[in-house]
Formats: sequence, C-alpha cells, structure tokens
Amino acid sequence: MIVEKARSSLGTIQQEFLATGDSLTALAERTAQIDGVVTEAASAFLFPAAPSGIAVLAVGGYGRRHLFPYSDVDLLLLFESERLALHSREPISAFLQTLWDAGMRVSHSVRTPAECTEVHNDNIELNVSLLDQRYLTGDRILYAKLADKLPRFITANRDSLIRNLSQLTRERHTKFANTFYHLEPNVKETPGSLRDYQLLCWLTQMRETEPGHLGQAELGPELNKAFRFLARLRCYLHARSGRDNNVLSFEMQDAMADQWRDGDPAQWMREYYQHARTTYRAALHQLEANEAQSSSLFAQFRDWRSRLSNADFSVHRERAHFRSPQRLEAEPDLALKLFEFVARHGIRPSIEAVQKIESRREPLREYFSEPRALWPSLVPILTLPHAPEALSAMHETGAITALFPELDGIECLVVRDFYHRYTVDEHTLVAIQALWSLDQASDPALKPFCDLWTEISPAAPLVFAILFHDSGKGSGEDHVVASRRLAESAMKRIRVPDQEQETVCFLIAKHLALSAAMQSRDVFDPQAVRDIAHQVETVERLKALTLLTYADISAVNPTVMTPWRAQRLWQLYLSVYNELTRELETERIDSDASASPERRAFLQGFPTRYLRTHTEAEIDQHIVLEERSRKRGVAVDIHKIETAYQLTLVTASDRPGLFAAVAGTLSSFGLNILKAEAFSNRRGLILDTFTFADPSRTLELNPSEVDRLTVIVERVITGKTDVRELLRNRPKPVLPSRHARIPATVSFDNDASGTATLVEIVAEDRPGLLYDLASAIAQTGGNIEVVLIDTQAHKAIDVFYVTASGRKLDSQRQASLDAALRRAVEPM
Amino acid sequence: MKKIEAIIQPFKLDEVKEALKGIGIDGMTISEVRGHGRQKGHKEVYRGQEYNVDLLPKVKLEMVVSSDRSDEVIKTLASAARTGKIGDGKIFVYDVAEAIRIRNDDRGESAL
Repeated sequence: MIVEKARSSLGTIQQEFLATGDSLTALAERTAQIDGVVTEAASAFLFPAAPSGIAVLAVGGYGRRHLFPYSDVDLLLLFESERLALHSREPISAFLQTLWDAGMRVSHSVRTPAECTEVHNDNIELNVSLLDQRYLTGDRILYAKLADKLPRFITANRDSLIRNLSQLTRERHTKFANTFYHLEPNVKETPGSLRDYQLLCWLTQMRETEPGHLGQAELGPELNKAFRFLARLRCYLHARSGRDNNVLSFEMQDAMADQWRDGDPAQWMREYYQHARTTYRAALHQLEANEAQSSSLFAQFRDWRSRLSNADFSVHRERAHFRSPQRLEAEPDLALKLFEFVARHGIRPSIEAVQKIESRREPLREYFSEPRALWPSLVPILTLPHAPEALSAMHETGAITALFPELDGIECLVVRDFYHRYTVDEHTLVAIQALWSLDQASDPALKPFCDLWTEISPAAPLVFAILFHDSGKGSGEDHVVASRRLAESAMKRIRVPDQEQETVCFLIAKHLALSAAMQSRDVFDPQAVRDIAHQVETVERLKALTLLTYADISAVNPTVMTPWRAQRLWQLYLSVYNELTRELETERIDSDASASPERRAFLQGFPTRYLRTHTEAEIDQHIVLEERSRKRGVAVDIHKIETAYQLTLVTASDRPGLFAAVAGTLSSFGLNILKAEAFSNRRGLILDTFTFADPSRTLELNPSEVDRLTVIVERVITGKTDVRELLRNRPKPVLPSRHARIPATVSFDNDASGTATLVEIVAEDRPGLLYDLASAIAQTGGNIEVVLIDTQAHKAIDVFYVTASGRKLDSQRQASLDAALRRAVEPM
Repeated sequence: MKKIEAIIQPFKLDEVKEALKGIGIDGMTISEVRGHGRQKGHKEVYRGQEYNVDLLPKVKLEMVVSSDRSDEVIKTLASAARTGKIGDGKIFVYDVAEAIRIRNDDRGESAL
C-alpha cells in the first residue's frame, strides 16, 4: 500500500513540474510525500516493538525540505541507548526494507544523542547534516534532548567543524579545476553549484548558532535567486533521467530549452554561469575569511602584506581595497591601476572593490570606448608575475569587456565539441594561466617550453594574442579571421605600437598552424618544415607561436597536454627553428622590381630575415643612414626605444673586428648589450644594430653623452680611436651567485648553412662578453657574416655565421676558434 | 575474429580513421605510444645541445573484426597509413578467442 502510493505520487509531482517548471513546489511536495511514507512505515514497523526511546529525524537535503525527485532520503534513527538500538535490529530492517520497496534510496544512520554530538573528523558530513535535522515522528522527549545539546555542541566545536567543511569544499573545487565554467556542469557538485549554496547556508547557520539557539540560514536575494535557478535544473535532470542524474549534458541543455521553449540553450547557459558565479564567489569569500581566521601564521603574513598599501589602495586581510572608491567616478583609469596592483602583488581585489567596479561597468565602458593610449597601462597587467590573477579579476568584475567590448561575444560562450571542457572566455584565461604554470612545471617534457617562456620578450603581445585568439568564436564566420579583426579594432583604439600589433595579428592568424601541422604533417619531412618556416618567418615569432600553441592545447581540458603531445610540439619547434637558422645566411633578398632603384640597391643581398624583422619606417631610416655614410665612411644613429636604446650603424668599409669594436665601445660606456644583429649585403655594405640597456642611466642623465658616444663609435670604426684604450679602465663586473651560474657551451655546425659555419655560444652574460667573443673570432681570422645576439636574464645566446677567406671554417680553424671562444667565455 | 594492431605515424591518424570509417569500421582503441623500429632515432642540435630523439612518437590503433573482414581492413589501413618512407609503421594480426560485451554478456562477433 505504502509502496504504490509513493510511486504514483512521484509520477504526479514530476508531471506537474515538467508542465510548470516550478521546482520549489515540486521539492516541497516530494518532501511532504516522503514524510508521510516514513511516518507511516515507522508506525507500522518501528514503534510497535518500542513505543518510546526512538525518534525518526530527517537530515541533509531532506531535512531542509529540499528533496529532489531521486535524491537520497537521509534519515537519522535516534535511539535512547545503544542497547535499545541493538534490540531493534529486526524492526529497523523491516522499516528500511519498506522504504526501499517504495523506490526510495534511503541513506540512514542509527545514533544516540551522545554520538550525534561528537566531532567526526572522518565523517564530517554526519555533523553537518545535523544542521538540517527535522523531527518527523517518535519520542519527542528524546528529540528534545538532542535539540538541546546540538547548539552547545556546535558553539563549542565551531572552529573545527568549519575547518573540516572548508577542507572538504576545497577538495571538491579542485576536482573541478576550481572553475564553474564547465560546458557540461554537474549542477550539484561543480563550483558555484547547489553544494556551494548549501555550504553558505551551513556556514551562516554555524556562525549564528549560540548555546540554546540553532542559527538560521538566511542568504541574500541574489543567492536565493541562484538557488531557484539551479534547483530547477536539477529537478529537471531528475525528472527527465528517472534517476539521480546531475550532469547538465549538451542533450539535456537542448531538451530543457525545448521543454519550456526557453529559446537558445547557449543563451540560458549564460544565465547558468551568472548564477554559478554569484554562488561560487560568495562561497570563496566565506572560505577565505574562515581560513584566514584560523591560521595565525597566515595572519602574520597578512599583516606584512598590508605594508604594500599605497596612496591608491590599502591592503587589508589579503585583499586590495580602494582608498577612496568614489575617485573611480572621476578617474576611470584607477580601475586599471587596481588590476596592475593585483598583477604585481597577487593580492586580489576586495568584494567591495569588485562590487564598485561592477557598479561602474557602464560608465567604464563608455570611457574606454574612446580611443586612448592605454597600451602602456595594459602591458604590466599582461606581464607582471601575477598577471593571470589580474586578468581573472578583470573578467570577474566585467572590466575586461568594458575595456574590450570585442570580447562580449565569447562571454560564457559554450562551443560544443568533444574536447573542450570550458566556456570560451574561461578557456582563454586558463590558457594564459598555463604559461605562468610553466614556471613551476616539474615534468621534463615541459622543461623546454619553460625555457622558451623565459626567453619571450616582450611577452605582452603574446598574452594579448591569447586573450583575443578565440574572440571571433560564436560570430558565425571563420573564427580566425573574426578574432584577428576584433583584436585589430581593439589595438587601434588603445594605440598599440605597430610592431606589437603586427605580432598579435600574426599570432592570431596562425594560431592553429602548429597544431594543424602536428596533426596532419610529418614533422621530420623537410618540405613540411620549410612550409611552416615560411609561414612563421622569424625565430622570435616561432617562439611566441609555439608557446601560444602550448597554452591553447593545454587549456582545452586538463588532460590534453600529455608528455607525448608536448614532445611532438617540441620536435616541431626544433625542426622549424633549425630550418629558420639554416636559411638565415643562405636566403638572401632578391631584387624586388616594384621598389625604387635606391631601395633595390640597398636591399639586394641582405638576408631575408632583415625584411622580416624591420618595419618599412626602419628600412627607410636605414636608407637615409646609408646615404650619410657615403660622405664620411660611416653613419651612426642612437635613439631610445621604450626602456632601452638602439644603435644603428651603416658602413661600407668592412674590416676585421668591426663588430667587436662597436661592442667594446658600448661596454666602455658601461652599457649592457641585450641584442645585436649584423647583416651585410652583397655589395659589402655593413648594417649592425645593437640594443642596449643603460644600467647606470648615464645617457638619460647626461643627454650630451649620446652625442659623445656617437662620435666615439664613428672614430673607432674609422680607426681614429683604439677600442682597447677605451676598455683599459673598465671596472670588473659583479658576478651572479654561484647557484645562478650557467655552464658555457660552444658549438659549431658546418651543415646548417650553405656558405658559412654556424657558431653558437650559450654563456653567462657579462659586460664586454660580446666584445670578447667578437674579438676572438676576428683574431682567429674569422669574418662575421650574420649575428644574432639575445640575452635572457643573465644568459647570453649568441649565434655567429662565420667565414674565413669567403669559405666555411675547416676543422683546424674550428679548433683554434673553439679554444679562443672558450677562453673568452670563462668567468673572469 | 582477428585483432588488428597497427603502429602508425601520428599525422596519419585522421586519414586512417576516415578510411576505416569508409568501410564501416568505427570502433577502435587509440593510444599515444613511443618507440622505434628500424627508423631508429636521430639527433637534433639546439642551442649547442644534442637532443637524442631515440623514441619517436607513434599512434597505436587496436581493433577486433570478424575474420572475413580482416583482409579488407588491413588493406585499407595500410594504404591510408602509407607514405612510402621509413617509419610508416607496422600492422600485427592476432587470433581472438572470445569477445564479451560487459554490459549484457553478449558473446562472440555480436559483442564487437
């Protein structure tokens, strides 16, 4: 009788719910129905054996009257004594069997009031489920004992209960990669789901409990709205699947949209993410507040961090607050300053700061829609040590779409395929995080990418490109084309310098090239490698593209970047890298008929790399320099670029040691060479560029020194001054600590280039290193044809293409040059 | 029944899958593996360091088909995976004693 009643009424509840979509009524009705069944079964089987000393309590979701159609029915059978419980085995099993037969999944526990009020570290759920206890039937006096003890128990053990609950929640969040942007979310378990809503209820209840009074779970209207939305989803999943299914799969998303004619599932999935965000954010806020309270060590650290406060922001409890929030109204740029602060210190904005920015979203949008030179403010946000946190905070507050409305289209966008786990916007942020995680990567397969990542400079265009690489998804057209267009419009508005714009456009346009090649091309086939090398054009671009590909693949889902795949990507990188360096010396510019005669004469015979690494404006400037050099034999130009200086030198009179001489002159001024390139065309015209830092700010503080440096370089080149004289009084540099030492390597390759020997030197950088290396080459009779110098932190990576008497170096010359170079790289 | 195991070049996977789908074979197990046969490895030089690539990334396909289809499957597989160069891979064929579908205990070819 009980069985049939229960089954038929479940059917009715589900039908009504499917017709109306009203989940709260369905939950309440289901609870009332089960209450009836349990009470009836208890009267029939439990109480006849023992009329007093037993009470039946509803706990967990059932206790709070939120019983979903196929959820477990959590019961607590409260017994006066263990003895009574032991004696009641048979009635208990008859009682439970009836409930099972009624189709309920009963999850029960048998306890005495004393057992209920013990901390169970390994079964924290039991303690927590008591917060939702509700008397159903049986001995009221016995229940009153528990009801009396419970508030006292919670008050006394609040800290450990909260700590256990927090830990449990953190573990659950980690299982879902700490994000709620899952394409097929579990509406019960994922971050921001019903479980987090419940967590908030429990924490509020525990906080408000006093001896003699059990706290109530009162949450704000936003959270209650989120609960109603999530409850409706879960109710639907149960009703449609006929079981405790909580995964909102693509099929279910479609079915639900059909059921209530809710239109496009993508549209209301966005609504889902908004509610999940509200719940998740509130849950995180609570967790952090509790964790901060419970750790005294953390408290000390936190106090130390509060010293990072500045004129704009104060740091309190590990959160950044606006000193005067109303300033944001007059100074919208303050929002960007806040995110820079986050990126610099890894201190996230406070809830109040987040809310303030959220409330100013429309005015910010309007302000940022005007063209403004925002790139310099954006670069630190994209590149500082905590950039991913800053970008997440921008995403969370909506500041990112206020700054770049181009990203509106991918916000919470679900793109359905078998591989992607996250929404498009989250995929983008996870990709950026993947780069930063390289710093801690211990997997040897990832080590090479880690090295590449430290070599990328500047990193901002790469990060910007990742931010926009999928921005065109959901636009209906080819997403690569659309993403590039959106990025271009954003870059124009915030005035990104031309060269960076070009890099970003290239990276977005080619962001699938390497993964496509990994998928469908033989990475050992020379033709395939040449094709990719021609698309990529320079080593710098190859590095950035490889990292973008690494990040993009890693962010599809956490298991995609296997060591196997990482190795394939690395092999592709190596093949293309070797191809690009091989062609550096061999591939020369052939005359371009459309160019002007002087331009043609100038370019003819330079390596093709020259065209790929210089903008039109730079080439024009070089042509002017060439004209100047005709009169005086040499022309030198020095100008500032961002944080460094660039020296460009053009001369027709090549002589041994020329490159070394310029390097030495710069060292004698205490300047530190970061990058250098030397090209020569077939007419013997030499074009060298040096990028150097000015660590003691000599040039900045003494503008006249720039002219003096220019003159001295010219004198050194024309042989009027001896560079050795200049270097005689050079102070000894400070060596980095022993731990940071880089072992020097010198390697020769006679096969890489058709006409020259490739000499590659990796060594610890020091002032004057380039001079010493170049001098060693000159002294052993070598002629430097092409040079690529790169410095990463204190590691110098120098590639020279060397010839002797117009030919490659023979083994004898290689041996003597090897010895000379090894002497030169020895630490002083 | 025959079990067909093929080690192929990773970049040929899509082509091979399409070709097999074309003759109605769409159930298979695919794994990312490393190994070498006669192709051996080779050396890559980068930044003055030699990278010895002795184990090359390959893809392993495994499928069980009825005996009368195995020749057709092998032919399709081989022609889709072939480039004619060293390293194209190998196909191994085994006899299968029994196949059981775990869900409903179907046995033999009906479990494939």
